[in-house]
Amino acid sequence: MHISEGVLSVPVLVSGAVLSVVGLTIGLHKIKNENIPKVAILSSAFFIASLIHIPLGPASAHLVLNGLVGILLGWAAFPSIFIALLLQTVLFQFGGFTTLGINTFSMAMPGVFSYYIFRGLLHRGKNIVFLGGFLGGALALVVAAAFISLALVITEKSFTAVAGTFFIMHLPVSIIEGIITGFVVVYLKKVKPEALG
Amino acid sequence: MTKKTKWFIFFLGAVCLVFIPSVSVYAHKVNTYAYREGNKISGECYFVDGSPCKNSKVEVYDEKGKKIFETVTDEKGQYSFLTEQRGQLKLVIFAGEGHTAIYKLEAVTEKRKEGITKRENQLKQKTSTKEDEIKQIVDEVIDTKIQGLRGEIADLRKKLDRVYLRDIIGGIGYIVGVWGLIMLFLRKRHAS
Repeated sequence: MHISEGVLSVPVLVSGAVLSVVGLTIGLHKIKNENIPKVAILSSAFFIASLIHIPLGPASAHLVLNGLVGILLGWAAFPSIFIALLLQTVLFQFGGFTTLGINTFSMAMPGVFSYYIFRGLLHRGKNIVFLGGFLGGALALVVAAAFISLALVITEKSFTAVAGTFFIMHLPVSIIEGIITGFVVVYLKKVKPEALG
Repeated sequence: MTKKTKWFIFFLGAVCLVFIPSVSVYAHKVNTYAYREGNKISGECYFVDGSPCKNSKVEVYDEKGKKIFETVTDEKGQYSFLTEQRGQLKLVIFAGEGHTAIYKLEAVTEKRKEGITKRENQLKQKTSTKEDEIKQIVDEVIDTKIQGLRGEIADLRKKLDRVYLRDIIGGIGYIVGVWGLIMLFLRKRHAS
């Protein structure tokens, strides 16, 4: 999910960075002080999720959890994901410094979409809550994969095949992410309903 | 809840149970390196935890960005190929799910190469077959000695690229710390 250094063209990197700065500004303004521990925990969850490897037949993928972060945080997903990505870059060399902007945007923005589309479902019965989490988690990953594929194609037409494979490979992952997100929101609904606020 | 939805939830739970135990804490990041031995280029490709990238596609590009060769890694994640190209080569390894590793193999400096061949020719003219034999033996001995060192360097590289638990715990610490600072900053903003 992390685009590395030196793959994308400069205009794509710059527009990614600009969009991320906008998202970060909105996010930081919307964070309420009492929500910061929640944001920090989701930052950590996102940070670790990328290390969890899912064997999927011949291919393999890792969790992203941008849907979970998004649906629980809304715009605050931007700073949350940005800090996790920054530390992944510094400590594990995942992604890169120049790609931080585009990576932040392509993972946080779909999370914000999920927040606006499915947040209403989180205040209903248990099954609907699960459905909301599932759809939110799955959609965020699919849209994120689409964003990254798009960034690849805009950079170079010859990346189309790679971008296509990238996108298709993330479809099964999105189902797993959806299931995980669904279970997490159902659990939160049970033990800490105010966290879904 | 109807019977159908119950079964559906049961199925989803089962899927999770199947996947969660097989989730291992090792990342997807791919590393590779390669080196030249005359015309032969050998390399290795591995994940962050040091496990090899098996049967991954390796593409070789020349200086102009033209693809000149394509191969796959073996069970040990190793690959090798022969090339006459002396310029900088770009090796791109596709280890699934869009994760690629790129390694730039530096060009062989032509001048030095020419110098060496010239000297070799001069040596050949001057020296007898006996000295040739000695040279060959020395080459072989050095090769075998270097083999061990090469292995060690490769192991060190892998260790450097690994993600350790201390990195993960340290990372979480940093995240909590950074958010603590942000909280402090925001509190001041709200207070003022």
